[in-house]
Amino acid sequence: MIEHFLPAASSYAQDIDNLFTLIFTLVGFWLVLTEAVFIYLIVKFRKKDGQKAEYYTGEEKHLKRWITVPHFLVLICDIFILVGAVNVWYNVKQQLPEADEIVRVIGQQWAWTFVHAGPDGTIDTDDDIAIVDELHVKVGTTYHFKLEARDVLHSFSVPVFRLKQDAVPGRVITGWFKPTKVGEHDVQCAEICGIGHGLMAARIFIETPEEHAAWLAGQRPIALASANTPQRVED
Amino acid sequence: MTRARIAVACLLAAVTGALAGSAAAEDLARGEALYGLCAQCHGSEATGSKLAEAPSLAGLPQWYMENQLHKFQDRTRGEHPGDITGLRMAPMSRALRSDEDLSAVAAYIASLPAHTPEPLLVGGDAARGKELFSLTCVACHGADAMGNQQMSSPPLRYASDWYLYRSLEKFRAGIRGANPADTVGATMRPMAMTLPDEQAMKDVIAYIHSLSE
Repeated sequence: MIEHFLPAASSYAQDIDNLFTLIFTLVGFWLVLTEAVFIYLIVKFRKKDGQKAEYYTGEEKHLKRWITVPHFLVLICDIFILVGAVNVWYNVKQQLPEADEIVRVIGQQWAWTFVHAGPDGTIDTDDDIAIVDELHVKVGTTYHFKLEARDVLHSFSVPVFRLKQDAVPGRVITGWFKPTKVGEHDVQCAEICGIGHGLMAARIFIETPEEHAAWLAGQRPIALASANTPQRVED
Repeated sequence: MTRARIAVACLLAAVTGALAGSAAAEDLARGEALYGLCAQCHGSEATGSKLAEAPSLAGLPQWYMENQLHKFQDRTRGEHPGDITGLRMAPMSRALRSDEDLSAVAAYIASLPAHTPEPLLVGGDAARGKELFSLTCVACHGADAMGNQQMSSPPLRYASDWYLYRSLEKFRAGIRGANPADTVGATMRPMAMTLPDEQAMKDVIAYIHSLSE
């Protein structure tokens, strides 16, 4: 359902969409049901000529059931949601599949710098390709990202991956993704980071291996200035 | 008949002049409104803030402001991963949605009273800087460091000293002026590299500042 509005382009995007759909369905069902009962009761017991209002304390067993039965049913729904959420959390956040490639993601007011491995396929070497506001990845490849913030809190958000991870100054946070569909999509900052936060947008290019190799061949390494780069402390 | 023609011509000139003046006033008002975003870092009088690492702009001419804003918008400037402050300015420049808005804000900044920021750099020798300035900078920026539009050289007298130092560092490191599309920056980069060391940079900046004393 969500994919109808926003493509799902990572290996775990569908799992997260399924969890959202589960929560939406269960919560939506109870919302519609309770509102329907509520409106029905309001209409049925509206003011009528010659009928006095009565006050119910709700202490009798047959009245309490109106609370306790839905309460236990909602708790059963909660168990489904919890099991689904823990399962997705474990697979996305607690698991770290072996990386085929590593990309360094650096947030700052108000731009993203992406450091790609150069032709040697290894990050933090002289042939690294550092580009502002453009992330180039290969479809079907498992990436680890090393997320940093140069100044304040940011949040690395790739909606088509259903990925969102805070970036914290002074820390290097590791996460992963595996693109599953080629295309060009938005990257955004999802943490208010100053007056230019709304302008802190980038693009992700998910390419076939051939397209990626062609892109890589057209790049030249740019050494990152170190003066304003914080000391890295790997988590 | 001739008098009538002269009277009509005078009337037309007065109306045209009034309309032009009114349009200019509208542009300045528009520029002032747009400048509200810039003021967050550069200050309401455009005198800059070291804390926000935003240079002083008051005193810079409209043509220079327009050129730089266009460069930021076109990613000719502020596109290098090592240009921390440029990367901050580039997205802000894109908040100006049209060339008219860009010109209006540049015109407004140019209309503000010129301001010479207080010096923050220490250790510069203005006497030594004068020699270096006359060898390196004077050809484009002028003996009075007031710039030259024909050479696309901005005035330096109203620039924050820390900003001049930072800019020279960036030009020398290829963080600025190395983009092939930045033809003006490309002329500045080799000139910055002729300054032999950090002390020479401080000396030149001390001399530029002494011109305003």
